[in-house]
Amino acid sequence: MTIDHRGLVVAARAYWSRLERDWQSVTVGALIVALTVTLEIRIPW
Amino acid sequence: MDTYRVIPGIGFLCVGAVLARSLELVAGFNHLLVAIGIGFVLANSIGIPDRLGPGIATHKLWLGAGIVLMGASLTLDTILEVGATIILVVALVTTSTILVVEVLSRNVFGLATRLGSLLAAGASICGVSAVVAVAGSIDAREDQIAYAAATVLLFDAFTIVVYPIIGELLELSGTIFGIWAGVSMFSTGPVVAVGFAHSEAAGQWATMTKLSRNALIGFVVLGYATYYAGSGTNRNISVRTLWDEFPKFVLGFLVLVLVASAGIFSQGQQRSIENAYNWLFVLAFVGLGTEIQLNHLRSTGMTPALVVFLALIVSSSLSLAVLLILL
Repeated sequence: MTIDHRGLVVAARAYWSRLERDWQSVTVGALIVALTVTLEIRIPW
Repeated sequence: MDTYRVIPGIGFLCVGAVLARSLELVAGFNHLLVAIGIGFVLANSIGIPDRLGPGIATHKLWLGAGIVLMGASLTLDTILEVGATIILVVALVTTSTILVVEVLSRNVFGLATRLGSLLAAGASICGVSAVVAVAGSIDAREDQIAYAAATVLLFDAFTIVVYPIIGELLELSGTIFGIWAGVSMFSTGPVVAVGFAHSEAAGQWATMTKLSRNALIGFVVLGYATYYAGSGTNRNISVRTLWDEFPKFVLGFLVLVLVASAGIFSQGQQRSIENAYNWLFVLAFVGLGTEIQLNHLRSTGMTPALVVFLALIVSSSLSLAVLLILL
């Protein structure tokens, strides 16, 4: 399966620009949790 | 959000954040207060270049995201432990602050009624956000909004300095200091900053208390809109107002509290999320510091400042007395 990266970026930007600031905060929080839990990325210091 | 326009300002926030945390390591200063100091000093000395403005304005987004992530280091048990006390004190202090500001501004100092209501909203709920939300519902004039917002910012700057000193002098515990700051200071950013500057526990209690206060904004907007409805405002008053004004990031915070309570996060993951919200807070506080501009604060009128100062004394001493008795 091929992923259309440019389409993904366009969709993400459209989604982001429609969000209220509070929901943007929730999205950033959810992304960080996802990175920490699923990809085991550790944020130091 | 235009990506290219915000990058320089976000870069500035990141540099300020690294500097603040480095200064803590080297000189032992609290990095959250240093972050506010960096923003404040730069904004009031050399000034902030215009092209950094859009990126710096994202600081409220990072504060909200930090608060969402803070939910991961709390559990329902912790919240329920003193939850009832928080709700009682928040209800008591919010109501009494609105009443004190309204009575002082109308009956004692003769301020315009709408200006008094904006000051009451700003002092009782969540600072400038509450001023703007209530202004929309009561058709306040632009100059009244600017006046009320400047007054709230003046006291944000004042309480950032004074609360930590009082907390230290009275040797308040983390729980009492946190709830006290959360229930009686004005804007969310300064509350989180002085809370975490005191201790981790104080920061968490301060934030939770402030969130429960912020959640009341919809009711206050609805109340004022109803009150002023007879005097010419065209705003539709509905239950939808409650949802529109509700700070949605509280929902993200609550979801993470539930997830953490279910024991889903490992210790390493929890530590990483704690580091993440600490970084987000530092970014936010560099931006918050740039908002405290002395030339804006000078535009605050003496009378509105006096009204809010008296209300702050009442709410601050009332809440501290209740907390010292109950906890």
